[in-house]
Amino acid sequence: MLSTLGRSAFAFLSYLGEVALLVRDTVLLLPHARKRWRLVLGHIAEMGFRSQLVVTVTGAFTGAVFSAQTYFQFHRIGMESAVGPVVSLSMFRELGPVLAGLMVAGRVGAAIAAEIGTMKVTEQIDALRALGVQPVEYLVVPRAVALVISMPLLVAECVGFALIAGWMVGTRVLGIDEAFFLENMRRYTHGNDIAWALSKGFVFGIIIVFLSCYEGLNAREGAVGVGRAPTEAVVRASLAILISNFFLSFGLNIIFPTI
Amino acid sequence: MSEPTAQPKIEVSDLRKRLGTQEVLRGVDMKIRAGETCVVLGRSGCGKSVLLKHLIGLFRPTSGQVLLDGLDISELPESELLHVRRKIGMLFQSAALFDSMTVEQNLAFPLREQGIEDEKEIDERVHEALDMVELLGAEEKMPEKLSGGMRKRVGLARTIVGRPECILYDEPTTGLDPITADSINHLIRRLQKRLRVTSVVVTHDMKTAFHCGDSVAFMHEGGIYFHGSVNEIRSSTDPIITDFIEGRSGDTD
Repeated sequence: MLSTLGRSAFAFLSYLGEVALLVRDTVLLLPHARKRWRLVLGHIAEMGFRSQLVVTVTGAFTGAVFSAQTYFQFHRIGMESAVGPVVSLSMFRELGPVLAGLMVAGRVGAAIAAEIGTMKVTEQIDALRALGVQPVEYLVVPRAVALVISMPLLVAECVGFALIAGWMVGTRVLGIDEAFFLENMRRYTHGNDIAWALSKGFVFGIIIVFLSCYEGLNAREGAVGVGRAPTEAVVRASLAILISNFFLSFGLNIIFPTI
Repeated sequence: MSEPTAQPKIEVSDLRKRLGTQEVLRGVDMKIRAGETCVVLGRSGCGKSVLLKHLIGLFRPTSGQVLLDGLDISELPESELLHVRRKIGMLFQSAALFDSMTVEQNLAFPLREQGIEDEKEIDERVHEALDMVELLGAEEKMPEKLSGGMRKRVGLARTIVGRPECILYDEPTTGLDPITADSINHLIRRLQKRLRVTSVVVTHDMKTAFHCGDSVAFMHEGGIYFHGSVNEIRSSTDPIITDFIEGRSGDTD
């Protein structure tokens, strides 16, 4: 029992260590990103641009339902005018980044792990090395740059659509006074809250890209191995996003304090 | 076999490799002269491919040395290995073409990575390489549209386009029909004559061995069991070698 526990703790630590080494290699090779700008642009189009639909729909419906639910509760105590800031703050600080992160982890993380995993088992990664190219420099660096650029923008879009949808449902459907809604939203939402959202998006982008690339680079032979890589990537990235979000909130509260 | 005065192009000494709990290579020693084609024969799983991947530094030995032009590549850091690898071309068993690129892009890739920016030169060299493998006209095709034999040819073209000094072939004819395999064998021989490169061919195809090899190394139980000329191995009376050459398993019905 104890030895099993020890072994899985050891496996977890060595996993973290290996991911950390991948991050280190990527950072050291970061200057090469300039000569890979075509790849970076391609990945931004594929991972960022094409993730917009899923992220905005997620944001819009979450904002809409959140606005409605807050209204149902607040209406009983006559505080409808507080719906705007509640929706806005929770979207900026928590829901926007986390939901966008989870959706991108599902869409992009799986694709990265599957792509790199397939390259691994079909000897394409060995071929890269044989041709004198470092796999991390060619495969991981451009993706990391692309997602770290894309993710904060996707979070911003997610929050933006959530606020629009929340405003529409709150004012047009449920009849909250528009002036109150907007004015309160504006008064209680600050630059710091936007910084929260973008910082979290940045960190989640890093989490998604490295955990997914790691799974791809370490995919095992055969259909089962390649199949497992995206699953593991999505599960691990999603859990890492949810867990790190908790700690991020405490950290960010120091850097960008609540005014 | 080897001339005592000239330095061997590739020299492997007491190479050992452990993968997991299994010791795949148990002390391999071999020397390959410049311009020579050495065929490494052996049964599946005897460590041939593992040996080949050591020659280009894709695997690091557990112990022992791999010398390329007298330089020990087994200890080199990955960043320096990258430059050494450009002197060596490797044809992978699966051809390992980049499936997101066309044939032409696959061939241009190693050139661009070597820092060649002149599009005209890239174009010329890509065409020259495709011409050598008789695949002119396939530039725009995607790898998944190619047959197994064509993929091997494109893989070979990508290997030679960077003008390596050594070419390593990992089972070049495995999985091909006898006629395609024969044409690949002829292609290998033609390239050797034309490019005068040092080659190591890993195979269990006797036809490849007899057709392409200047010397034949026979691997058995993780070591080199025999290394000699094609005629020497043909006339060998050692039962382990004759069983392999004639394809006898020793099993009865």
